[in-house]
Amino acid sequence: MTAELPLVIFTIMAQMSVGSFVVLGVIQLVGYRVDPKLMDRITDPALYAIGPILVLGMAASLLHLGSPLRAVNSLRHLGGSWLSREIAFGILFAVLGAAFAGVQWRKMLTPRLRQVLAGTTAVVGLGLVYVISRVYTLRTVPSTDTWHTAVSFYATTFLLGSLAVGAALVIASRVRVRRGVEDEEAQALIVRAVRGIAIGSIVVLGVIVVALPTFLGSLAINDSPAAAESLETLVVTYGGLSILQLVLIFAAVAVLAVFLVQLSRGKIDHRGLAVVVVTAFALAFSGELIGRMLFYASMVRIGM
Amino acid sequence: MTTYKQLGFYVHQANCTGCKACQIACKDKHDLPVGVTWRRVVEYAGGSNEVNPDGTFRTDVFSYYTSIACNHCEDPICVEVCPSQAMHKGENGIVSVDPSICIGCRYCEMACPYSAPQFDADRGVMTKCDFCADLLAEDQSPACVEACPSRVLDFGEIDDLRAKYGTEAGIEPLPDPSVTRPNLVLTPHKDARASGRGDGAIANPREI
Repeated sequence: MTAELPLVIFTIMAQMSVGSFVVLGVIQLVGYRVDPKLMDRITDPALYAIGPILVLGMAASLLHLGSPLRAVNSLRHLGGSWLSREIAFGILFAVLGAAFAGVQWRKMLTPRLRQVLAGTTAVVGLGLVYVISRVYTLRTVPSTDTWHTAVSFYATTFLLGSLAVGAALVIASRVRVRRGVEDEEAQALIVRAVRGIAIGSIVVLGVIVVALPTFLGSLAINDSPAAAESLETLVVTYGGLSILQLVLIFAAVAVLAVFLVQLSRGKIDHRGLAVVVVTAFALAFSGELIGRMLFYASMVRIGM
Repeated sequence: MTTYKQLGFYVHQANCTGCKACQIACKDKHDLPVGVTWRRVVEYAGGSNEVNPDGTFRTDVFSYYTSIACNHCEDPICVEVCPSQAMHKGENGIVSVDPSICIGCRYCEMACPYSAPQFDADRGVMTKCDFCADLLAEDQSPACVEACPSRVLDFGEIDDLRAKYGTEAGIEPLPDPSVTRPNLVLTPHKDARASGRGDGAIANPREI
């Protein structure tokens, strides 16, 4: 289960980074009427948190290599290997993201140009998630050579991305409260953002609970003995973990529902909100971590 | 020195007794570390004992061996997926890995349905059957072919092998040959199951 841990960490961190970047962009777009200064004040800490997460993921991927000192050779087969393309997209996303964070921090360029840079970064990031999924659509591995790989990777991207952003927003807000510099306007904006994140998470949960049984069913009717072995790994050998994975992801979204109920009653306890969002993130992250470990454990090749 | 358009291996599955002399000869020739075994002899077994209505038993158990190294495929998925181009198809159609380029990402290992590329943890790179290119240069046979006491193995120009022995390569536990188009010809065992339609299983998985 832990054999591919560096790849588990790399793929999850990369997807969470992309998701966070995209969700921050969506928050900016949906809140285009909000005062840009206020918007940047609450979203910038989350933006800066993405960098270390992505770097951590890429560093983890180096641990997977037998000869990490020659890692640059991984870019020599861009014309044919999805793994080369994965590294190239990862580096491009990191460089564009760092450039955007830099100009955003210094407020360089015009706001319009910064938006163009952010949009380009988001598109490259979403491309990166697709390219990562293609690395695993090997024609010799029936369990991952399916549409489900891309769907589940995008689900991870948006679920962890939005919850990580939510957690970063509320944590940064608590820090400002402690310093006595938080105002009600900012808190109201964060509540709106978290409401959107809660609703988005429900949608992603829906995608997961439709896609997973469909995928398991497709494995069950696949003639290949390799597919049968993958299915056995998922539902028998690690059946308990498969269930735990779904329970954790469901629990994450259910915790957010507590906040939605509070909101509908019109009374928001901001400290409680922070606890709810951070708990939801921790639950979803644990669920996704287990899910990704199962993904690698269930990769069974055809042949011998 | 004889040159080839495309080298291939032949395995007379029906005659193989599973003695593994080929495997050991390969390991010795290339001085392979523990855990790295370029040529492996896989045992595929199945069937069961059933009780007839009259109380007597009938048995349909079967078992056969297949000696497999690398098949230096026409569509080598290892070469296709390798991010560093360390894995390449070179002289005489031999697929080999350049250890000075390989980054040891093990992606070829993840992809190859014959488990041909194998990771050398001490050197941090992938290794694989090179068809004993040094012996071929002196017009000698590969170590595995030379070692077989039952004359199960043969090698040569794949077109010649196919003319002599036929074109069969799709036998369990090998994958469907259309996936990577291996340069391999088998004479099937009488109990051989077609690729992907096996009712048996690999009986020695830890050796593969």
